[in-house]
Amino acid sequence: MSFIDAADVSYPAFSTDNCIKCNVCTTVCPVARVTDLFPGPKYVGPQAQRFRGGPSPDTTVDLCSGCGYCTRACPAGVLIAETNSRARARVVEQRGTSLRNRVISDTDLLIRFGVPLAPLVNLGMRLPLARRFGEAVGGIHRRAAVHPFARRTFRSWWRRRRTVADAGPDKTVVYFHGCAVNGFEPSLGRDAVEVLERNGFTVIVPDQVCCGLPMISNGLYPQARRKAARNLRSLAAYARRGYRIVTTSTSCGYTLKAEYHEMLDLDDPEARAVSEATWDICELLAELHHSGRLDTRLAPMARDLPYHPPCQLKAHGIGTPAMDLFALIPGLRAIDSNHDCCGAAGTYGLKKERWQIAHDVGQPLFDKVAASGAPDAACDSETCRWQISTATGLPVRHPVEYLAESYRAYDAAAALSGGLKA
Amino acid sequence: MPSADVVVIGAGLAGLTAAIELAERGATVQLVAKGMAATHWAHGGIDVAAPVGARSPANGVSRLRARAGHPYAILEPDLGAALAGTLACLADGGLAYRGDLRAPLRPFPTPIGGLRPAAIVPAGQAPALEPWAPGEGLLLLGIERFRDFWPQYAARNLARRAWARGPSRIASAVAALPGIGGLHNLNSLVLARRFDDPSWRAEAIAALRAAIPGDGPWRVGVPAVLGMERHAEVLAEVTEAIAHPVFEIPTLPPSIPGLRLFDVLRARAGAVGVRTQVGFEVAEVERDGDTVTAIATRTAARPLRIMARDVVLATGGIGGGGLRGRRDGSLEERVFGLPLAAPARAEWLRGDLYGANGVALESAGIRVDDELRPIGPRGEVVLRNVRVAGSALAGMRYLVERCGDGVALASAYRAARLIAGAADAARTAVAS
Repeated sequence: MSFIDAADVSYPAFSTDNCIKCNVCTTVCPVARVTDLFPGPKYVGPQAQRFRGGPSPDTTVDLCSGCGYCTRACPAGVLIAETNSRARARVVEQRGTSLRNRVISDTDLLIRFGVPLAPLVNLGMRLPLARRFGEAVGGIHRRAAVHPFARRTFRSWWRRRRTVADAGPDKTVVYFHGCAVNGFEPSLGRDAVEVLERNGFTVIVPDQVCCGLPMISNGLYPQARRKAARNLRSLAAYARRGYRIVTTSTSCGYTLKAEYHEMLDLDDPEARAVSEATWDICELLAELHHSGRLDTRLAPMARDLPYHPPCQLKAHGIGTPAMDLFALIPGLRAIDSNHDCCGAAGTYGLKKERWQIAHDVGQPLFDKVAASGAPDAACDSETCRWQISTATGLPVRHPVEYLAESYRAYDAAAALSGGLKA
Repeated sequence: MPSADVVVIGAGLAGLTAAIELAERGATVQLVAKGMAATHWAHGGIDVAAPVGARSPANGVSRLRARAGHPYAILEPDLGAALAGTLACLADGGLAYRGDLRAPLRPFPTPIGGLRPAAIVPAGQAPALEPWAPGEGLLLLGIERFRDFWPQYAARNLARRAWARGPSRIASAVAALPGIGGLHNLNSLVLARRFDDPSWRAEAIAALRAAIPGDGPWRVGVPAVLGMERHAEVLAEVTEAIAHPVFEIPTLPPSIPGLRLFDVLRARAGAVGVRTQVGFEVAEVERDGDTVTAIATRTAARPLRIMARDVVLATGGIGGGGLRGRRDGSLEERVFGLPLAAPARAEWLRGDLYGANGVALESAGIRVDDELRPIGPRGEVVLRNVRVAGSALAGMRYLVERCGDGVALASAYRAARLIAGAADAARTAVAS
């Protein structure tokens, strides 16, 4: 074993020198909580990092789901999750990875084939026999949370919509819809556009591809860098002119804000401009509200709503802006799940060898949602929504969909009373 | 921009206590912290004061209060109420404690076979402090393959201590617990979570009992891994099943008793409406003269500004990361750059870290006025709406005086009382 060449080691790995071995990270790790297979973030991170000069000493780092709680709990400032993600990429670089991991992390490809074949593929997803086959041959767990493909992508809807002229950086937002809205939940994208437009923004949707997060999570950094390069080319032009980039996915948003830099080493002016310009949609709407500019003509929704702030949202460091927005809807009582992680972690919970871990991580959350007796639940991140929905059988929606619904109900009531007066 | 009546910086014992007290008095509170805190490193007991020669925490406080510049000189009046409030809060959360300010300080065995004075401890540690009966032996009972507690080593070290009125003899034993042989990383957390599982625990308790030698009477010290969320239940079952008194010895980090304490306080903070954000340090501070108007924490993208009327600074000392030594030999307070009372660089480590007076650097920290506002070298208030709580305060040596928890509680309680009192007064003035 040679000494690690300092020039070869990037910044997060350096931070492991600050580790004082206190194991606080291990106490917050959702995966280590449920399985003995994963020895915990300290063990696979700062501890194993010393041996990563040559071939990686072990592969248990691949059990990390990437939630990031370890980094945030660390009192010594060690970038544990980032170190571990890079270590996984090293393992993949040295040993390769499965065809399955390459396919499930290429969501652009999945959408290109899945949407035109939606009726067939969606039927297959519902057939137990097909799911067994998918597990045996494809390595996708038969009970994993999969969402049906949309019949039509968000982008194709958007193309046919009357385009509005760009109103300049203050009044225009650039929407990064991500793969989930494009290929699986286009109605969320439509609701987001509606809510943004109602609050005075013009929305534009420039060229974009998958943010690359599924590839980062699967250790496929070169592939992720290609996605990032294309997105940065398209988005940086706006970011530099002062436009805000808005996402409805806390995971795409976090990738644009932080992971291009922290994982992929894209530390150029383009990447920095995009990071600075990126806003989660709830973050932006809550900020509008704090400055008194949010349209708060919202119809009541008298009910309890279990809300799960996903681990990716917590990595943004912006608190839980959705809770501020829910509080504006009269009668709506959102209840924070107070649970760390649903377990899905993007593609992690799909894998047949990871599904049980993912399910066990999320079990207390599923129990809470089910025990609440509410007819549905809310969550900001797509794969978390699908995971909670599959486990509980309840619909799970993005916070902005509740705002859109409440706005629409307000308008309907106003139209009705206007009609009655007339 | 979000706003709160009070921003509390730091999620240790002081920060959490201040946040809870403030929220219970009606303030909106945002708690921010760079990471988790020293609770996870500490033994979970409440060290109020145990300078050499002290007979009880109250007696220790009265000795420390007399030392020039010691925080207890101003905090002592708040200590009783602060301690009572915290112990009640912990009991509400299912974590019972024993002892009070008047309880005698008695030697408590550490996992490496040292002795430390203790008086206020979790119920699971309390049997260690009972007087030893004639003929009663101490049995240190370890767990096979658990690397953070070596009972033979601890027993041998303890046998060499001067332990007045201690056990008649000290022995060790090891129990093999079921189903943990193949684990990579058997730490206290893994064991504590296993004990939460009722079926595993039944077997484990039987194994512990079987490992106890028959030539008692013993008092049995086990590593502090007896359950996490269901600790009270586990403790009751262990006490019931083992014929001898049993107590927990807190081990190396992660400290399970410290985690239990943190979990209860954090849950309480959430229940009374404190908003908590852990993992992002304060990056910028906005002031208007001697008043802080907003702080901004780091985020994944831009700093997040939070407006605040008052701030509680509970970032800890050198261990907790609130103070940092720079290469040029100076010491800095990391959030506001407050003036510090600190020895010269050459004096920092003079003395014996474990001796009666410790090292000079230990007493470094922020000097405050009676209202816990930071003051400069001439006693002038530097920031009018910032109160300092916990180990960032100057003038104590918490390692040798064992006063860190008491100072944390009393300063947090006083900060909350003053802030809430000022807000009430302002409201009354507006109303009239």
